[in-house]
Amino acid sequence: MSSCHLKLAAIAILVVFAVLAGGCARAPVRPTPGPQPPGLGALNRGGQVTEQDMQVVQANLKPVYFNYDQYTLTPESQAAAQYNAEILRRAPHLTILMEGHCDERGTAEYNLALGERRSRSVAEYLTTLGVANRMSTVSYGSELPVDPGHNEQAWTKNRRVHLRVSN
Amino acid sequence: MKYLGRRSMGRPPMASFRPHLKILFAVCMCLVLLCNVTEPAQAKLVIDLNNPNLAKMPIAIPDFASDQPGSALGKELTNILRNDLYMTGLFHIVDSVPAGVSTREEQTDFRLLTESGIQALVKGRVHIQGDQLTFEARLYDVGMRKMETGKRFTGRLADRRSIVHTFADRVMQTLTGVPGCFSTRIAFVGAAQNREIYAMDFDGHNLAQLTQTGTIILSPEWAPDDRSIIFTAYLKGNPDLWSLDLFSRNQRLVSGRQGLNASARYSPQGDRIALSLSVKGIPQIFLITPQGDIINRLTNGRGNDISPTWSPDGSAIAYVSDRAGAPQIYVTPANGGPSTRLTFETKYNTDPDWSPRGDLLAFTSRIEGRFQICTIRTDGSDFRILTREGSNQEPAWSPDGRLIAFSSNRQGKKRVYVMDARGEIQIPVTSVAGKAPAWSSHRIR
Repeated sequence: MSSCHLKLAAIAILVVFAVLAGGCARAPVRPTPGPQPPGLGALNRGGQVTEQDMQVVQANLKPVYFNYDQYTLTPESQAAAQYNAEILRRAPHLTILMEGHCDERGTAEYNLALGERRSRSVAEYLTTLGVANRMSTVSYGSELPVDPGHNEQAWTKNRRVHLRVSN
Repeated sequence: MKYLGRRSMGRPPMASFRPHLKILFAVCMCLVLLCNVTEPAQAKLVIDLNNPNLAKMPIAIPDFASDQPGSALGKELTNILRNDLYMTGLFHIVDSVPAGVSTREEQTDFRLLTESGIQALVKGRVHIQGDQLTFEARLYDVGMRKMETGKRFTGRLADRRSIVHTFADRVMQTLTGVPGCFSTRIAFVGAAQNREIYAMDFDGHNLAQLTQTGTIILSPEWAPDDRSIIFTAYLKGNPDLWSLDLFSRNQRLVSGRQGLNASARYSPQGDRIALSLSVKGIPQIFLITPQGDIINRLTNGRGNDISPTWSPDGSAIAYVSDRAGAPQIYVTPANGGPSTRLTFETKYNTDPDWSPRGDLLAFTSRIEGRFQICTIRTDGSDFRILTREGSNQEPAWSPDGRLIAFSSNRQGKKRVYVMDARGEIQIPVTSVAGKAPAWSSHRIR
């Protein structure tokens, strides 16, 4: 996991930048106080989490959705990432795997690159939100749709980064 | 009869022609003809692949004679040959000869055939003894009333398809100067629940499953010696590059770097593999050895770079990059250097595959919301759309540059199709769901 060190360096730079940017930041880098994720009251702050805690975290994380052929975060996807960050900050010992996915439209190989880029976008955004968990990425391209349909409704659901936590 | 003429080797391909160039061309052709005077003074039955206005050659292939009356074998073998030649888009296949022409005897009434506009004739005879098949076939130049090539094959009856394919390869060699691809195989990835690698004859027969990984597989690619297939698979949870030895059936990890190890393509010489690695963050094109060691990094931009394809001489690599905001095809020298953008026609051009003839790239383009197989010359001119129905992706040239395999959902599930290089004939070659076709380089048995 040599890239973890690289990522930590990138994270450090991004965090410093976020702090410096402070109040004049145009993007909503700081999470706005949203609805409290349910069922997380028992999570130890900074302590070791149990298997049960992990399942609770996993169940509460939201997929981060993307526009067609895009890997930049929309305001909606930023809100989902902020919600996730709120949860993950309470469980900093969990490792997070960002699984990047695309809809079926497009080329399998290009979608693999696009999925990789989406998962990195989410990882980078989470670090700017102060999430310090160990993170790694994997792209599945368009190989694992959650909705097998061939319509806009299915495609919208399939363009996503799914967060998978492990101890 | 534009394809009838003397064989002229090395004439440059011509796409668009202005009138004054036509005169120049005529002068050049006269020179070519003069040069050819040193050859035996016989006109040759030739299909000139460089002629952009190539007309189909009418070729008569009557049912092969069989010494077992009532045997369906003669017709079965005839249909294999007819299908092979039909798929190239270069022939108008005539199943029966005019009344009065005997197909059984050595003597053929060439005059009657000529009057029917037929320019080539194949006569064949099959003989079975036990499980042994003897197949004899001859190609005739009807205009010159002479045999161009002929061969007698003896083999197992079970190998009859490959025996006929071998003769069809020979017909193409005789008429175009390049052997056919009818004895090659196509590997592809299952597109249903099962994402394993399969291989089949170019016409879909002799289907075999090659892997049992239980994971997702992408981008199979034959090594130039056809002894192994490299592919990307999630055997360890990450999209790593693996190599499958087709003889021992052993799988070997070639590149397991974190992130993408994707869209790997062997150099024509087999000494390097171009692929996309995201080990430095953004997916970029790298060259590695067949053992997996990094040789160098070819791209260093801000875009996602993927899907490299080698020029046939190994000097250049075309690949996809979205550095300009959307995926487009770029070309870079294989030993490093600046990239040149090749495609501008639509906002989404991916999956380049460089023709073995060197002159064209086939690729996938998004047109009116769907994906179509297109070709473009290597100088960026002559953009052509070859498919129209459904979504079509992942073009792969046959080793002789005559055919293109691709995946299409035009009849529902994704399947592997084969078309001629001009897109006139497009046929699904397998009934199983499949995608990501890759064409072997050689005859494989």
